[in-house]
Amino acid sequence: MKAFLLDDIDQLRDHLASQRSLFTPQYTEGSTELNWLPLTSKTKSVTTERPLLPTYPAKQFFFPDREILFQFDGSDFKETLPEPEPQILFGVRSCDLCAIAYQDRFFRQDPYYQARRRATLLVGIDCNMPCEGGFCPTVDAGPFVRDGLADLVCHQQQDASWLLMVHTPAGEALIQGLELKAAESHHITRRNKQEQQVAARFPSATHIETGIQRINQAQVPAETWQAMGLQCLTCSGCTNLCPTCSCFTSYDRPVADGFERERCWDSCLYDAFQREASGHNPSATAGQRVERFWFHKFSNEYTKTFDRYGCTGCGRCEKTCPGVIGVHSVMKRISATL
Amino acid sequence: MKTLMTPQLIRITEIYDDGEASSHFTFEPVNGINHSARPGQFFTLTLPGHCEAAFTYLSLPDAEGRFKALIRRAGTLTSALFNCNAGDLIGFRGPFGNSWPLDQLLGKRILIIAGGIGLPPLAAIADHLINSNNTQVALIYGSRSPADQVLKYERSAWHMYMPILETFDHPSSQEQLAGTPLDHLQEMTVKLGGHPEAILTCGPEVMMNAVGHHFVQNGLPPENIWLALERRMHCGVGECGHCYLGSSYVCTDGPIYSWQQLTRLQLQTTA
Repeated sequence: MKAFLLDDIDQLRDHLASQRSLFTPQYTEGSTELNWLPLTSKTKSVTTERPLLPTYPAKQFFFPDREILFQFDGSDFKETLPEPEPQILFGVRSCDLCAIAYQDRFFRQDPYYQARRRATLLVGIDCNMPCEGGFCPTVDAGPFVRDGLADLVCHQQQDASWLLMVHTPAGEALIQGLELKAAESHHITRRNKQEQQVAARFPSATHIETGIQRINQAQVPAETWQAMGLQCLTCSGCTNLCPTCSCFTSYDRPVADGFERERCWDSCLYDAFQREASGHNPSATAGQRVERFWFHKFSNEYTKTFDRYGCTGCGRCEKTCPGVIGVHSVMKRISATL
Repeated sequence: MKTLMTPQLIRITEIYDDGEASSHFTFEPVNGINHSARPGQFFTLTLPGHCEAAFTYLSLPDAEGRFKALIRRAGTLTSALFNCNAGDLIGFRGPFGNSWPLDQLLGKRILIIAGGIGLPPLAAIADHLINSNNTQVALIYGSRSPADQVLKYERSAWHMYMPILETFDHPSSQEQLAGTPLDHLQEMTVKLGGHPEAILTCGPEVMMNAVGHHFVQNGLPPENIWLALERRMHCGVGECGHCYLGSSYVCTDGPIYSWQQLTRLQLQTTA
């Protein structure tokens, strides 16, 4: 891995933006929401204050909430694969990069996802302090970016200057033309040590660890799931904001001379998610659906395929859930039972 | 080149009524696009404007690519399909899913147990086993009433090649067997010439669970009991999430599971 020293991260951002469309988390005017938006002359300097997660993860860039799969013109079906412009996501946090790697595997044979993913380069930023509700160290998803999950990784050092790590040939090509001083091995060593220090600053997450154990040993009583199911308002906030959630449905929309099939995000917490034509519903109760959602996030059954849990510790579900059954609330309840 | 998400055109060539709210459909490829499939696999049909749904092969594609399905009218998509006529073009994707374990069945004494609309998913494997010389096969078919029975012509052909018992929750005459398939196992064991060495079943989950428990309790290894499960298969390629069964997706890991696999998945969660 090549590594360089960088005084001004905004200069790097501008250099990258001169080559491809660049999106980075920014506050929408008049709102407290941090959103993924295109870089403009009004975009502020890369923040060095406490790290904040964008409200939405980056999954919408590859798996948009709505997309057309094909069109029917009255005589035949015409596939409509996306033809995305080359783009860069700048400032992706470690948890969201782990989720992108997870979805890369999940959608490995999906041509729509892969077309968008292939057109995108990723620039990660290490988190130098915990974010509210985040617990990435507990699920091996941060706080620093894992090797190979981004093309470039930026790390702010204690003297406020930056270490720039190059993980892919595409990342190396991006920084051509920038005059950068090579970093030395002690810079890397110091970064590794600092990750341990940052991880140690996260609040205790023993409820997450205990909850994971209980889920994997099938020790959570059905009544506990049913009690939490009563609190699910089926709003789909958790599944929309979860960076690894990927369920979708599709429907036909009439257009001139035919129709187009659109797929859109779905939620396994909706009561009719599994209902069959006969009326039979294998997950008819909210408790069953809540149980299955958390099983999908924390079961060891999935680590064989994905090399990690389906939860990356971002904590978005806790922030958004109006029923107070986000990850911390659920795992506290689970770890308290027995 | 179309991907697996985009349908191909197929033509409906024949439709006839076959049982309560059910019809028997024959399809043929359009533009010479043929495909092959294995017993137990499924496909989806697109009715333009009504999206798509999954159906099982009643018969596999022949040399000309013709295949059949038995479909019950249950919702808006099947209602649109039932309004179609022979000659109409619709969309097709497939084949999807795994198949009945053909290699593990050869040479065994096999009992097929079907309930209601669960008979069509067993038809292609029944045909396959009948044509396998060293395999003994028999069928018990349970229905609510005689009017609910499907596959009239297929069953009359099968009668020549394998023992068949038909049972009814509500028989319409004294000659008809009352009860469920499990109530008549004794008679079938005699006809089959011994206890079955493998079970293939499809029907309501309550029935399949009863079948699985019965044969395991009677000493049949759980890996020799096979079930065709239904879930809401939607995308067919293991992505949309609708057909989950524990950590498994029925559209890619199934729809055929052994009792051993199923009981392991059922221990994971209650859904």
